[in-house]
Amino acid sequence: MKKRYLQVIIAAFLLCSLFLIGCSNSNNTSGDSKDSKKNIEPAKTQPLAKKDGKDVTISVADNFISMDPHDTNDTLSYSAQKTMLEGLVGFDKDMKVIPVLAESFTASDDAKEFTFKLRKGIKFHDGTPFNAEAVKANIDRLANPDNNLKRHSLFALVKETEAVDEFTVKVVLSEPFGAMINNFAHPAAMMLSPKALETYGKEVSQHPVGTGPFKFAEWDHSDHLKVVKNEDYWKKGYPKVDSITFKPTPENGARVAMLQTGEADFIYPVPTEQAESLNGKDGIVVENNQSIVVRYLSMNTLKKPYSDPRVRQAINYAINKEAFVKVVMNGFATPLDSVIAPNVQFYSKQEQYKFNIEKAKELLKEAGYADGFNAKLWGSNNTQTGKGMEFIQQQLAQVGIKVEIVPMESGTMADKIWSVEDPNKAEIELYYGGWSPSTGDADWGVRPLLGGKDAFPPKSYNTAYYNNDEVNQAIKDALATADLEKRNAAYEKVQALIWKDAPWAFLSVDDTMAGKKNYLEGIYLLPDGALSTENIEIKQ
Amino acid sequence: MAELKVNEAIQQPVSQPVNIKKNTPITEFWRKFKRQKLALGAGVFVVLLFILGIIGPFIAPYGAAEFDYDHILEGPSAQHWAGTDAYGRDIFSRIIIGTRISLFISILSVLLGAVGGTVLGLISGYYGKWIDNLIMRFCDILFAFPGILLAIGIIAILGPGLGNVVIAISIFSVPMFARIVRSSTLAVKSTVYVEATRSIGAKPRRIIWKHIFPGTVSAIIVNFTMRLGTAILTAASLSFLGLGAQPPSPEWGAMLSGGRDYLNTAPHVTFFPGLAIFLTVLAFNLFGDGLRDALDPKIKD
Repeated sequence: MKKRYLQVIIAAFLLCSLFLIGCSNSNNTSGDSKDSKKNIEPAKTQPLAKKDGKDVTISVADNFISMDPHDTNDTLSYSAQKTMLEGLVGFDKDMKVIPVLAESFTASDDAKEFTFKLRKGIKFHDGTPFNAEAVKANIDRLANPDNNLKRHSLFALVKETEAVDEFTVKVVLSEPFGAMINNFAHPAAMMLSPKALETYGKEVSQHPVGTGPFKFAEWDHSDHLKVVKNEDYWKKGYPKVDSITFKPTPENGARVAMLQTGEADFIYPVPTEQAESLNGKDGIVVENNQSIVVRYLSMNTLKKPYSDPRVRQAINYAINKEAFVKVVMNGFATPLDSVIAPNVQFYSKQEQYKFNIEKAKELLKEAGYADGFNAKLWGSNNTQTGKGMEFIQQQLAQVGIKVEIVPMESGTMADKIWSVEDPNKAEIELYYGGWSPSTGDADWGVRPLLGGKDAFPPKSYNTAYYNNDEVNQAIKDALATADLEKRNAAYEKVQALIWKDAPWAFLSVDDTMAGKKNYLEGIYLLPDGALSTENIEIKQ
Repeated sequence: MAELKVNEAIQQPVSQPVNIKKNTPITEFWRKFKRQKLALGAGVFVVLLFILGIIGPFIAPYGAAEFDYDHILEGPSAQHWAGTDAYGRDIFSRIIIGTRISLFISILSVLLGAVGGTVLGLISGYYGKWIDNLIMRFCDILFAFPGILLAIGIIAILGPGLGNVVIAISIFSVPMFARIVRSSTLAVKSTVYVEATRSIGAKPRRIIWKHIFPGTVSAIIVNFTMRLGTAILTAASLSFLGLGAQPPSPEWGAMLSGGRDYLNTAPHVTFFPGLAIFLTVLAFNLFGDGLRDALDPKIKD
């Protein structure tokens, strides 16, 4: 009896498998196209999906950590904060700085004094008027190291903030810093109501009060965060929806399903594997845009054999960047052709290390490693990174470099990478990393990662232990002035020098991936991965 | 002498028909086992797997790490019988090559577990008293953890890697064997022939290895086969979680894990390694079932 039962199960299973194989055949993505860069075709033929009410649900990949912009270092928390809070200046769709709560701003030529003219007649959600004193309270909070705020570093140079009159603020720095306006446009500089700061203190992270189009309603840490319409918003006619609910959904499949069933109106990120199959069905539109997130492979320049620039260049030549984009990023990325992404201020395009195994082998031979060598590749233990590391392993095997992949969870990484005191004893060889300079300025894209000794771990993120005096000097020059021409020239030099020294293997620039129902408009991801929702609208 | 001869004469006709059938334990076992068609089929499958484990890398049409970025995530076709994965590697070849890893891990780990468990079980069952208590309570503690959880705990201490997977699986196989061997030992210990051996002054070591251990072998073999299936499954689970085999190793669990993201768009990437695990574990379990039926003296025809 038992055996017959088993046979039936096996038969049923085999039938199922045939069915599944049939399915997989029809779903094949063609791998023949020469162009590795993909773009989602806009699906215009779809009729508008139905939507009742004016409440929007957004499904995101992680939990929110804090609602205090001054004490936040994850882009996701900023996405939610930006519905409620605003800064003096902000970024537009292309990471250009635009005025928000300030009407206009000026910088002194020596890049030490910044003056903001404020917009009049704006009130915080709790009724406190927005004025120079409020701005001063916020900047002072950020600039005071005793507050131990995560974003203090962006404002550590502020010497004093002065309320010149009710609607004029002057910020004075202790030394010149040309990229300061971008720091003000960073979401870290968003304004909280001074009254709320006083009442809640550190607890303001649970009770954000700002000037934005939405007011904080509730935050259930295990489930969702809800914001409701601010009836007195200073931009007339906005916002155009009644509420936004953010739902953290870490599982990719679940997030996609929420969009398909209509439980969520907007999701991000959309898993790149599913972007194409999702787009154009059930009233779903998938949008991809170039971000400012760069992927790189850093090489410890203090350690043999990576101390030889020829070895580093060889590794650059040995990696097929087009294939990287296609295989690892599913086509939703672009090969990286500088240290920073094209949407970052002062980007200057370099000539790519074209995939060339012969040249790579030649360089290795010159450097004395004709037979290759053994290498260790470190990276975090998430799926995407794992895939990238495996790809690099395959590529470097072609020139005889045997790579051992070591995935690490964040605790181990903190131990082995970020808290190493003596650079010469650092064990790190190759490191697979990503970086998003959320100030949108070249400074934050280069200095923390390759800015010489000052950027070595544990102070910052220079995993290549790269230290080139010429580069350091050029970075300094660029910061010493607010003159755009001069800064541009300095950063051009920085990028050219780093490109030639190749402390990294330059891999790709990610795309931002968002999926939405087609009745939703005015919502998009900024290149730094933060969400812009102020113009959100439901079309029916 | 005369008496003895008579005895032989009496025995002769009785043993005659038995001799014709050559009723040794092995033929007896085979007679019982071959009647179970499903177990026999499973047995053949297991033998094939072992052959594949040995010659796999030589007959696989593609190398395990041979990538082809122009043919990624393609479904089954004439060139790639089980399709290709995210790097354009041939899944069929990888499964064949991975057979060796899965079998090697499971056999080694269960063997270690069986040796440890058997020794503990024999000691525990033979000597009894406080040592029995000590060993059995220790086994109870290990039993209190679900197998996979215990394995994850051990990996967390030792760090990921195939070697540590072997250690983890063998540790949680120990109490299973210890308990089974102990119960067989208790049964065999009270038989008359063991009593007799002891009465003529045999040392405990001789009694255990010469007289008790052979009596527990059938139980060990059955359990061994059954555990192999579980071990393959556990090793695959650990690799799936990223705690076992590391990429680009073609271990089945790791392959399964690598295809997870493509479940909707390219199900064959997970399907075929899954099928391999499923069939292998099923075969070992059915085979073990058949062995038990054939070896257990209590089950009569």
